Amino acid sequence: MSMARARKLGPIPLSWWGGGLAIGLILIIATALAEPIGVSAQYVVLDGVLLHALAPATVEQSPYLEKTAKGWTLQTYEFFFVLGIPLGAFLSALATRRLSTRVVPSEWAARFGYSPAKRLAWSFVGGFLLLFGARFGGGCTSGHMISGISQLAVSSMLFTAALFAGAMLTVRYLYPYPNRPNREGRA
Amino acid sequence: MKLLLGLILGGAFGAVLQMSGASSYTKMTNALRLRDFTIIKLILMAIGVGMIGVNLLDALGLANIRIKDLYVLGILAAGLIFGVGLAVSGYCPGTALAAAAEGKPDAWATVLGGLLGAAVFAFLFPELEEHLLSIGSYGKITLHGELGIAGIWLAVPLGGLFIWLAFRLPLKGETR
Repeated sequence: MSMARARKLGPIPLSWWGGGLAIGLILIIATALAEPIGVSAQYVVLDGVLLHALAPATVEQSPYLEKTAKGWTLQTYEFFFVLGIPLGAFLSALATRRLSTRVVPSEWAARFGYSPAKRLAWSFVGGFLLLFGARFGGGCTSGHMISGISQLAVSSMLFTAALFAGAMLTVRYLYPYPNRPNREGRA
Repeated sequence: MKLLLGLILGGAFGAVLQMSGASSYTKMTNALRLRDFTIIKLILMAIGVGMIGVNLLDALGLANIRIKDLYVLGILAAGLIFGVGLAVSGYCPGTALAAAAEGKPDAWATVLGGLLGAAVFAFLFPELEEHLLSIGSYGKITLHGELGIAGIWLAVPLGGLFIWLAFRLPLKGETR
């Protein structure tokens, strides 16, 4: 079967409870020393700093950009937190031998085929919707779901409920029943 | 110093996301398909621990609390859009960065799409603010604030419930 083409990675090195506990502790430390964790605003900050450098006239049309990317600088605690994510992930993937250059995830390929262009295009569209939605709602999985619910914020609970509704309905449409049997060893 | 702190905390966050499989398209998709509860259990555990810890800090006066505004219609629309994006890409804004660092090209596409989506929102914001962000606007409200009690009184039972649920859920869901 074509699935054999997918390169097998090692097992996931961290258990769900180890990972969950660690993320909880990171949130607690961050809230004590700086502020609760958040990611999505830094996409706007990077946009703002790039646009400010490349096309200064355009940024004046967006007060939101000016407010979010305060001072047009990347040298902030918040940006460095987000910069840390790929750095940490790269080092841990290297250490646990889980670096992967696969373009099409096996689950996607089984349903939509092996076309890299198709997967890349839809990933791009997905990313667009993710950040449009996150900035619209004022946060993402980190800022709303993890930080926001932990602080018992009502907006974050509502955002999370809508998020799951949107995601589960979409996934049901993308992967309709009857499902293929779940194969083991894939991650 | 603050920059270094950010880099270290973010680095730890990214490493944990990567090592617990949260940056895997298949894991994320199968979580949404209710076939593999690893990521759901991870999130429940993270929120349970975080909720108790953050509110304990707050009770001691040590927490830098940041509550997000509630604007009902906008938040609902935003959450739905975000959810569609999550289902289509298989990543969220944080795990896309972790997956990109693992070398996955589709996660790079998600990050680039995200930068465009964030930019489009930034330029549409005045319009959206006028029409959607003002509907059902209640400001920075919290559950405990509405009840008029300290957060810790809700955080301990609710956080405990989240952690209990995390252990209670099976690792694998239905396979049809």
